[in-house]
Amino acid sequence: MKKIKAVVISALAIVVFSLFIHEALISVDNGGSTAYAQGSGIGDEQLLARAINGEARGEPYEGQVAVGAVIINRTRNPSFPKTIPGVIYQPGAFTAVSDGQISVPLDPNSTVVKAARDALNGFDPTDGCIYYWNPATATSPWIWSRQIVKKIGKHYFAK
Amino acid sequence: MSIREKLLDYKRRLSDRKMYSIMIVIIAAAAIFGIYQYKQASNMRQQLDNQYNRAFFDMTGYVHNVEVLLVKSLISSTPARTAATMQDAWRQANLAQTNLGQLPVSPQVLSNTSKFLTQVGDLAYALNTQNMGGKPLSDQQYKTLEQLHGFAVSLGNNLNDLQAQITTGRIKWGDLARKGTPLFSKTSANMPLQQFENVDKTFKDTPKLIYDGPFSDHLVTAEPKGLTGNNLNSEQAKQNVTAFFGADRIRAVNDIGRNDSGPIKTYSYRVLFKGAPDDQSATIDITQKGGYALWMLRTRPSGASKLNIDAAKAAGKKFLDSHGYPGMVDTYYLKEDNTATINFAYKQNNVVVYPDLIKLKIALDNGEIVGFESRGYLFAHTARSIPKPKISEAQARSVINPRVKVISSDLAIIPTEFKTELFTYEFKGRLNNSDFLVYVNAETGKEENILMIVNTPNGVLTM
Repeated sequence: MKKIKAVVISALAIVVFSLFIHEALISVDNGGSTAYAQGSGIGDEQLLARAINGEARGEPYEGQVAVGAVIINRTRNPSFPKTIPGVIYQPGAFTAVSDGQISVPLDPNSTVVKAARDALNGFDPTDGCIYYWNPATATSPWIWSRQIVKKIGKHYFAK
Repeated sequence: MSIREKLLDYKRRLSDRKMYSIMIVIIAAAAIFGIYQYKQASNMRQQLDNQYNRAFFDMTGYVHNVEVLLVKSLISSTPARTAATMQDAWRQANLAQTNLGQLPVSPQVLSNTSKFLTQVGDLAYALNTQNMGGKPLSDQQYKTLEQLHGFAVSLGNNLNDLQAQITTGRIKWGDLARKGTPLFSKTSANMPLQQFENVDKTFKDTPKLIYDGPFSDHLVTAEPKGLTGNNLNSEQAKQNVTAFFGADRIRAVNDIGRNDSGPIKTYSYRVLFKGAPDDQSATIDITQKGGYALWMLRTRPSGASKLNIDAAKAAGKKFLDSHGYPGMVDTYYLKEDNTATINFAYKQNNVVVYPDLIKLKIALDNGEIVGFESRGYLFAHTARSIPKPKISEAQARSVINPRVKVISSDLAIIPTEFKTELFTYEFKGRLNNSDFLVYVNAETGKEENILMIVNTPNGVLTM
C-alpha cells in the first residue's frame, strides 16, 4: 500500500509541477513589464541594451557596442525597417528575440546599457556594418557571401 | 522479486477499486491539462497567423496603391497635383515597407523588395519637395518613374499570386516562421520561401536611383573629403596611436587587424595603459590614408564626477587643439555614467560648420578622453570658401514666424539628409517656453530647417 501511495503522490506532483512550469513560462512571455522597466514602457535605449544582452553578453565591450551599432545602422539602410524596435523585432532577424532573451530585465548599471548608450551616441566599431554572425553557430551559407569588414570577439561583421 | 512478479503484483494492486478511481482521476487531469495546453497553443498560433495575414494583405494593398500613384504622377500636368500624388506615394510606400518588415520571412529573403519600397518612398518625398517648390519633373525623372512603375506592376502581380496561395492555404506562415535561420541551408524543397525569393529577384536589376534623399544610391559611395595625405603602413599608423594617447601613458599597442572595405579604410589597435589592468584597454581605428583617428573607445568606468560640464568642454577643446583639430567649438552634449559626450563643430570666420563634427566622450572624474569619433569630420571637412550672405540678416529674420521671439542669430553651414551643405542664418528663438533653432538659407531666404532644443539635467540636445 505504501508503494501505491508513493506512486499516486509522485503522479500528482508531476501534474502540479507541470502546471507550475506552465505558469512560469507564461510569466516569461510578459516579463518585460516587470523589474527595471520604467514608467510608460521601455525606451529605445533599454530595448537596444536588451538586444545586446541577448546577442553579445559574453563579448568584449567593443563587440557589444558593435552589435548595437549594427542595429542602428540597419535603421538607416533601405533594406530594413526604419526604427530600432522595427529592426529588433523583425521576425527571424535575431535569435535573442526569437527565444525570448530580449525580455530579460536588465540592471540599469550593467555594461550592456553603457554599450547601448555608446552605440546610440554614434560610436560604430563596425564602420557601417548591417550583418554579424558567430562562425561557430551560423547555419546559413548565404551569410558568407557578404563583404566581411572585421572580426570582433567571436563575431564576424559584414556589409 | 523478478520483474514478472513485480508486474503481477502491480496488476493485483490496481484491481483494488480505490486504485482504479485514483488512476482515472490522474489520467483525466492529465488529459484536461493537455487539451487546455493544446487549445492555448492553437489560439496563439491563430492570432499570430492573423497578424501575419494582416501585414501581408495590407502590404499588397499599399503596393497596388503605389503603382497607381506612380501612373498618376506620369499623367498629372501641374506641379501642385504631382506634389500631392508624390506625397501620397511616399506615405503608401512607407506603410508597405513597414508591413513587409513584419512578415515571418528572414530579412535577407526580401531585402531587395524592402530596398525598392524604401527608395520609391524616399524618391517620392524628394519629388514632392521639388514640386512644392514649383519645379516640375524633368525628362530624366519621368523616365525613372516609368521604370519604377514597371517594377511596381511586377511586384503587384507577384504579390497577387502569393496572396492566392495564402488564401487557399497552400502557404502557411507557421511553416515559414518555425524554420527560422536554417531556412537558408537547403531550401529547394521549401516552396513557399522560394516564392518569396522569386518576388525579391524582380529587383536584382533595379536602376541605381540618385536623387536628393537619405536613401539615395550615390551616398553609399560618397568620398570622404577630409581624408587627405599619404597611405601609411601599419607600423607608421601605430606611431599615430602613440601620439594620440601620449607615449608616457601607454604600456603596449597591439595590432588587431585592418578593414579594407568602404570609403574609409583603417587599421585597428588595442592599447594597454600604464597602471591600469588589461580589461581597461582602449580600441582605436586609424585611417590608412593620412593616419587620422576614426574612432576610439576606452573601457574604463569613470569614478565619481569631479568636473563640471564647462571643465569637460575645456578639456575636450584642449585635446582637439593639441591633436591637429584647431578651431573647433562645442555644440551639444549629454552626460551619462559620469561621462560627458560632447559634439564639437568646426568654426570658420564666425560660421559654425556643423557637418565637420567630432564627438568626444570625456570621463568626468579626471577629464580623460575615453571616446573619440570623427566620421563626420573626415567625410565633410575641407577648406571652404564661404561667401558673403546674399540676403541680409534683417531679411532672413523677417521669414521667421512672428510668434517666435528671436534671442540670437549666427551664421552656420548645416548638413542635409543627403550629405549636401546649406549656408544659412541660425536663429535661436523662443516660443511657449521652448527653445528652437530656425535655419534660413542665406542665399535664397528659404526656411530650411527647424530644430527644437531640449534642455535636460543630463544635457542639451536637439530634436
